[in-house]
Amino acid sequence: MSHIVTIKTEVRDAHAVRAACQRLHLPQPTHGNHQMFSGHVEGLAVQLPNWRYPVVCHLPTGELHFDNFSGRWGDSHHLDQFKQAYAVEKAKIEARRQGHSVSEQLLSDGSVKLTIQVAS
Amino acid sequence: MTKTIVITVSPSGESRVQTHGFLGAACQAASRFIELALGNRLGELLTHEFHLPQQTSQQQTQGNGQS
Repeated sequence: MSHIVTIKTEVRDAHAVRAACQRLHLPQPTHGNHQMFSGHVEGLAVQLPNWRYPVVCHLPTGELHFDNFSGRWGDSHHLDQFKQAYAVEKAKIEARRQGHSVSEQLLSDGSVKLTIQVAS
Repeated sequence: MTKTIVITVSPSGESRVQTHGFLGAACQAASRFIELALGNRLGELLTHEFHLPQQTSQQQTQGNGQS
């Protein structure tokens, strides 16, 4: 290998958000002004299982706004699953856009491994 | 050598991008589109292959057989 880069996921692509929701069998996200405990938030809302409030994706900044009261209003595991699904779908979209083929593998620790064959 | 980019997405959503089969700084150019698409770089580790030249030219001079 040549180099290894660690990346913190930023949610900026509506298409990848929709693909992630489909992957996790979640309702499709809705764009608009959404009621949260802390007020109204504008963005693309994802309704996670058993969460009182939606997770709102602010695509211009890549930030996620959510109120789950330290897990009492929604299990953080679902949020992690969404972030993982988003990163996987976004990587697949971008690789295919570049003309590369992609294969996916689920690892024993719950990680998802994508292998991109770079088209010559 | 087959060139691949391997992305491992952890259960918490953090990604690790590794390149294989590239020599020199070509690996950075190759994976840049994925890094930019996924989000914010937290760190980078350069491996031995990064410091190898991208192209190696070998010049062979053949002797005329005389010792």
